[in-house]
Amino acid sequence: MAEGQDKTDLSVRVPDNERSGTSVDRLDLAASATTAPPAISPSLNTATSVTAVNLGQVESARTRSGLIHADDNSLRPVATHVVPNVSHPVDAIPLIEEEMILPNPLVKYEYRPMEDGQGSEAPEPHHQSQQVIYINAPERNHSEINITCTSKYNFLTFLPKFLFEQFRKYANIFFLFISLIQQIPNVSPTGRYTTAFPLLLILMVSALKEIIEDFKRHRADDEINNRKAHVHRGDKWVTVKWVDVVAGDLVKICNGGFFPADLILLSSSEPQAMCYVETSNLDGETNLKLRQGHRVTKDLLRGEELASLRGMVECEAPNRHLYEFVGNIHLEGQSAVPLGPNQLLLRGAMLRNTGWVFGIVVYTGLHTKLMLNSTSTPLKRSNVEKLTNTQILLLFVLLVVLSLVCAVANSVWSGRHAHNDWYLFFDVEAESNFGLTLLTFIILYNNLIPISLQVTLEVVKFIQAIFINWDLDMYYAPTDTAAMARTSNLNEELGQIEYIFSDKTGTLTQNIMDFRKCSIAGICYGNNEESKDAFNDPTMMYNLHSQHVTADTIREFMVLLAVCHTVVPEIHHDTGEIVYLSSSPDEAALVQAARQLGFVFTTRTPETVEIEVFGKKEVYEILNVIEFSSDRKRMSVVVRCPDGKIKLYVKGADSVVYERLEETQLYSDITLQHLEEFASLGLRTLCIAKVDIPEDVYEEWKHTYYKASTSIHDREKKIEEAAELIERNLVLLGATAIEDKLQDGVPETILKLSMADIKLWVLTGDKQETAINIGYSCQLLTQNMELIILNERSLDETREALVKRKADFGDALGKVNDVGLIIDGEALRHALSCDCRKDFLDIALSCKSVICCRVSPLQKAEIVDLVKNAQKAITLAIGDGANDVGMIQAAHVGVGISGLEGLQAAHSSDYAIGQFRFLQKLLLVHGAWSYSRLSKLILYSFYKNICLYVIEFWFQIVNGFSGQILFERWSISLYNVIFTVAPPLAMGLFDRFCSAETMMKNPALYKDSQKGRLFNVKVFWVWIGNSIIHSILLFWMPMLMLTQDVAFSSGLVGDYLFLGNFVYTYVVVTVCLKAGLETNAWTWLTHLAIWGSIVSWFLFLVVYSNVYPLVRLSPEMVGMDRYMLGCWLFWLGLLLIPSACLLRDFSWKVFKGTYFKSTRQRVQEVELAKKESVINGSPRKKSSSKNHGLDKPSQSKQRCSGSGLPRSECNMHAYTEPPRLHGTSHSHSSHVHKGCNHAPSPEIPHGYAFSQEEFGAVPQAEYIRAYDTNKDKPEGL
Amino acid sequence: MATNGNGDISQDSVEEKPKSRKPKDTKFKQQKLPAWQPILTANTVLPALFAIGIAFIPLGVALLVTSNNIKELVYDYTHCNSSTTSGTCAEFFQNTSQTGETCTCVVTLTLDEDFTGSVYMYYGLTNFYQNHRRYVRSRDDNQLHGDVISYSDLNDDCDPYKTVSDNGTTMGIAPCGAIANSLFNDTFALVYQGSPNEAVGLLNTGIAWVSDKNVKFGNPSDWQKSTYTKPPNWKIPVWNLSLTEESNNGYKNEDLIVWMRTSALPTFRKLYRRINHNGTTFSNGLPKGDYQVTISYHYPVTAFEGTKSIILTTTSWLGGKNPFLGIAYLVVGSLCIVLGVVFLVIHLKWGKRAGIV
Repeated sequence: MAEGQDKTDLSVRVPDNERSGTSVDRLDLAASATTAPPAISPSLNTATSVTAVNLGQVESARTRSGLIHADDNSLRPVATHVVPNVSHPVDAIPLIEEEMILPNPLVKYEYRPMEDGQGSEAPEPHHQSQQVIYINAPERNHSEINITCTSKYNFLTFLPKFLFEQFRKYANIFFLFISLIQQIPNVSPTGRYTTAFPLLLILMVSALKEIIEDFKRHRADDEINNRKAHVHRGDKWVTVKWVDVVAGDLVKICNGGFFPADLILLSSSEPQAMCYVETSNLDGETNLKLRQGHRVTKDLLRGEELASLRGMVECEAPNRHLYEFVGNIHLEGQSAVPLGPNQLLLRGAMLRNTGWVFGIVVYTGLHTKLMLNSTSTPLKRSNVEKLTNTQILLLFVLLVVLSLVCAVANSVWSGRHAHNDWYLFFDVEAESNFGLTLLTFIILYNNLIPISLQVTLEVVKFIQAIFINWDLDMYYAPTDTAAMARTSNLNEELGQIEYIFSDKTGTLTQNIMDFRKCSIAGICYGNNEESKDAFNDPTMMYNLHSQHVTADTIREFMVLLAVCHTVVPEIHHDTGEIVYLSSSPDEAALVQAARQLGFVFTTRTPETVEIEVFGKKEVYEILNVIEFSSDRKRMSVVVRCPDGKIKLYVKGADSVVYERLEETQLYSDITLQHLEEFASLGLRTLCIAKVDIPEDVYEEWKHTYYKASTSIHDREKKIEEAAELIERNLVLLGATAIEDKLQDGVPETILKLSMADIKLWVLTGDKQETAINIGYSCQLLTQNMELIILNERSLDETREALVKRKADFGDALGKVNDVGLIIDGEALRHALSCDCRKDFLDIALSCKSVICCRVSPLQKAEIVDLVKNAQKAITLAIGDGANDVGMIQAAHVGVGISGLEGLQAAHSSDYAIGQFRFLQKLLLVHGAWSYSRLSKLILYSFYKNICLYVIEFWFQIVNGFSGQILFERWSISLYNVIFTVAPPLAMGLFDRFCSAETMMKNPALYKDSQKGRLFNVKVFWVWIGNSIIHSILLFWMPMLMLTQDVAFSSGLVGDYLFLGNFVYTYVVVTVCLKAGLETNAWTWLTHLAIWGSIVSWFLFLVVYSNVYPLVRLSPEMVGMDRYMLGCWLFWLGLLLIPSACLLRDFSWKVFKGTYFKSTRQRVQEVELAKKESVINGSPRKKSSSKNHGLDKPSQSKQRCSGSGLPRSECNMHAYTEPPRLHGTSHSHSSHVHKGCNHAPSPEIPHGYAFSQEEFGAVPQAEYIRAYDTNKDKPEGL
Repeated sequence: MATNGNGDISQDSVEEKPKSRKPKDTKFKQQKLPAWQPILTANTVLPALFAIGIAFIPLGVALLVTSNNIKELVYDYTHCNSSTTSGTCAEFFQNTSQTGETCTCVVTLTLDEDFTGSVYMYYGLTNFYQNHRRYVRSRDDNQLHGDVISYSDLNDDCDPYKTVSDNGTTMGIAPCGAIANSLFNDTFALVYQGSPNEAVGLLNTGIAWVSDKNVKFGNPSDWQKSTYTKPPNWKIPVWNLSLTEESNNGYKNEDLIVWMRTSALPTFRKLYRRINHNGTTFSNGLPKGDYQVTISYHYPVTAFEGTKSIILTTTSWLGGKNPFLGIAYLVVGSLCIVLGVVFLVIHLKWGKRAGIV
């Protein structure tokens, strides 16, 4: 490599291309707390050389590493220092067990309330203490059938279960009661089966829906149960269905496969029987976890060895603790060895970054920890539904009151008439008693409560849900995922959301890290046009290859990126491509970037790292790895360079690196500026530094470090102290900026949602810095937004801070201010305690954006609960991982991101969508539509029933409160089943007040549904009042019309049913037209529903009037068709009466539409006028002026000049925060930053973001020592 | 197997590609069905309102005129003076022992003008709750249809007029029930006081619904006279209602059929007879002048504070005299016009502003 002459005064040595020495210090190796294991298989040991780096390789490798979910460390203990496992893995097993069991209950058990509750109340069934599984002898084992069963019914249980479910609903009980009392002779005014029949019909529709839904569940179960597993049976490998896997089976799982049952890991394709698993399905942690097989089994790498494997596994009885496992394995001819959670692979987890594993099945089916932990999704009921139920109860009261009034009136009337009205034979047969009369009236009025409402709602919601599933705009092609409404109960709730609680990783972000920019020796790269999507800055290459002053620094920088990490390269057999395996996507991105720039990391052996610099091999000996931890915020390696020099490479947070820099630094200020710039763009930054270490200094330090890392007490602390000794006087090389890629359309979606007055809270397990970064990049936080950061460590401090913040708000409290609140999990724990709760909530609700970082899943659910209960607001939680399950279940509406591997969130959600941005359409269109449709449907259903049945009351006035009905009995019982069933359905399915596009463009329209303006108690009773007015007109007008009975020119007279059928026809017509009046968009189906319903009544009338005496049904209807339709009065009334009824509704609607034009009407008009239908709504302006709660005299420009900090250019598009390095290191301070008026804060930690697995089953340092990528991996069979 | 298993397994582990879950892009599924979206604002509905108003008002006037052209004479004879006994017939029947006997009234109706066209004679009752539930139910339609049924199978709702026990023998009632039992039984004879006096021919057929007469009511093949008897209030059994006209006898008797159609309101009228317009004097209707009505007064109504009247009326295509519909049309039509004016004002004053967004 032509490096060119050094023209700088930097003391960077050009490394030799050949490795200079082999003086690997054995002692040192041991000191670094690892022992290189012997080679796993004595196979070929040739170094694979990668000769060319082509773009394809880079791409594929990047995609691969991008899939690694690893930065969500939410569940990691912060304060708990776990003793790292430093011994040899073999000896460490008992230790590991202890380590896993002891600290974990503290941290991990608490996030699932069910575990907590169960665990504390009743201990797990340990009494049945153990279970023995014979390896390779499935027939000897008792095994739970390995079946997933989420379906509710089977053939036998369907009827009883279904009926039980149905008759738990009040409405159905009520109608059952009505049906029963109709059987009492002489009580029912409407015959015996007129309620039973519609009820039966409605139950049948419900049953049909249940059957369809359960059928789907059966199919989903079958899909899982019929997945294929490779099992060793009778000396050969066979493919069986998951359902046939039994305990004691030997199974092979390949990379990317799910474990069909809980397995004991025997061996894997990786060294030391290690494997990566992704457990996001189980515990929501998206970083990969290491599992390691026991040493006695790690060499079972070939099929023949497995075939002859005999022995048994003893293990504890199945329990639900994910991180506990105790067992022994007895292999034939060997003594028993203990097994721990480190050997257990759980069903639901997925094998990652590992070629294959062999395992023995221990727990199957319901005994797996996944199943033991699964809870049924709680039944959620929507706000509208609850309101409806309340109104139904009120109507029930009304019904009873009405019946009582009538019964009393009946007694009074009878008392007056009994002795006189001889034709009523009271002298012969006394009037029936009061109770029976009351029952009569209850039957008469029972349909004030619409019998069909429940089933209409169910059907409509079911189809609405299907519409959601069908929505092409919510289809995500890359994962072939359509939106899925998993429940249909909550469609309208989607229209009322006020708060959204969102997870970050996987929801807002893709968890793909992209290297975007860097600053090397004070020069910023990656600002050019080509780097818009991916880093591609030819200037850097030019500077490197030309004899630019910084060429050496660039080289050193790149070498550091290629060497200082814990990534393991894997060379693809077929293609020869290198794939980088890492638990940290940040690191993978950096190594990837180095490769793209010509510094290819090719091989890792236990002691060395080999890189190819523009095709030339260089070997760096890894002397020490000082691990990353969230306290240290940095990672270092001590390497011996090819030229024999010892160097310390460091990458870490700017705050920690800057503290340790050498006094004189050439580019520290300019780099700082670049860091700010990066951070303001929402990029995750790391500082890169190095230091040359003289041989003698190293020798001395080596011993200190060894002592520290083998000490028994305070090892953690001692290691840190030892690290401090060497990690100083650093020379800053530059900084990197990695983009945590957002999902598509996230900022736009957040903007739209905020325009709809929906508040978004981000609840993430991530670090504060990362969270703030993402806040900026997704526009949740904006440049001129003030930030409140709460990260107090104790209850008292938290309380104090809360009180102070609250006071700062003053009058602005309770309003939405342009302030962002960032709170840390620890502080949140205190803030959620009883006495701080209220203050916290007050503050949080006064802020425009809230970000909670480092929160546990339990806390996520708690926050949701808090807002839900205190604010009485409708909440939505969206997330993708199992750690979001709690909040998804706690929120009114839970939305899961589906399409990724971890489906736990999607499975417990109410709606599953492929992308965060689909939330827009889901809420703004489907939610708002469903809400307005269902509101109308419900109101209308009540309206039409009350309209018809109050007429019965008016009729009672003229018939002596005798309970006589005006209509023919079957006509009324078919009212809700045939004649008026279609208009509400059409309304509930096809109505829309403007198109989906307009809804999306005008998020302000959402407020109508959000604020519940279309359906509330007032609206409800207005509708009821209206229907009573209609019923008055509909009864009294025909009555007056027929008052002298003579209705024909032939002099004939009618009877009560003649009038009744007039009225009934007018009711049907009026009610159908009312539906039309309330419909905004008449599709052809709406036309069909409305006109069809009217026509259906006339058809029915004609048919029904002619069935007697063929069918002995309703002789009173005979001839009705002929005489009614032949009566001019009827037709004149038909023209007049419905229009008289609807004139009021119509003109009120017109009046409102003209005079009090609402936003939606304007939008609708504009849309219909085919104009650009975006309103620059005045309400928005108003609200924004209102929002100036806190004084913010400064604009960002002012701040820029006023901050007095070095800035290269002031009008740079996105300056965010004052730099964070002025001041001391990490003081847990909290501040409201009021723009320029305040002195710049000592520290706003942000920008830095880096993650690695901490305290894992196998420490990173040890892990990388285990690899020798020169060796071929075993094939496994 | 161990050797070649590898390839198979890794192949199998690649999941079979499921069918794309991409939803179909149809107008229905994407909720983009074309729709008519009426916008109701003042200016769009103005024409409609005025049109309705303009249509309804003349219609209302026409209906009102039609109704007013109908000639109607109502005579309340509840307290008519008996021509056979002293006092009124109402008083005569106050003495319950005389129930069932005949009291005759002779009254004179005066037509002030000619009743041209078909004239119909009705009886009207008030405060008679024919729509009371226990009354309405009290009938057996199968029996009235002419089914041969044993009295024990009669509709229980007919009680207490289902059966009668007389000296230990139980007999069914034909027709059973309270409606039939309370059949209106006053009769009227009408004589024109002209020169000379001429009896007005009264037709007792064609007064019931054709469908009732042909379909709903029928006579049984066997009257079962040994097990059925007349309703208690009747004087003659049902099979003797009209011995002269077989087609008007029994359950097919039109007076019975008319009565069996129970009225909607406690004040009602029922068609009693059609005027026979054959012949010369009455061919164009009833000429003006006096008419003597001989009333066989049987039906007690004073007990329940009811009234009875006799009504002579012509009809129009709308039936009897009833100004309600005309008035209603006028009111609704006027309302439309008023609303139209109001909306016009609103539109002129605020409509423009509303258009600006």
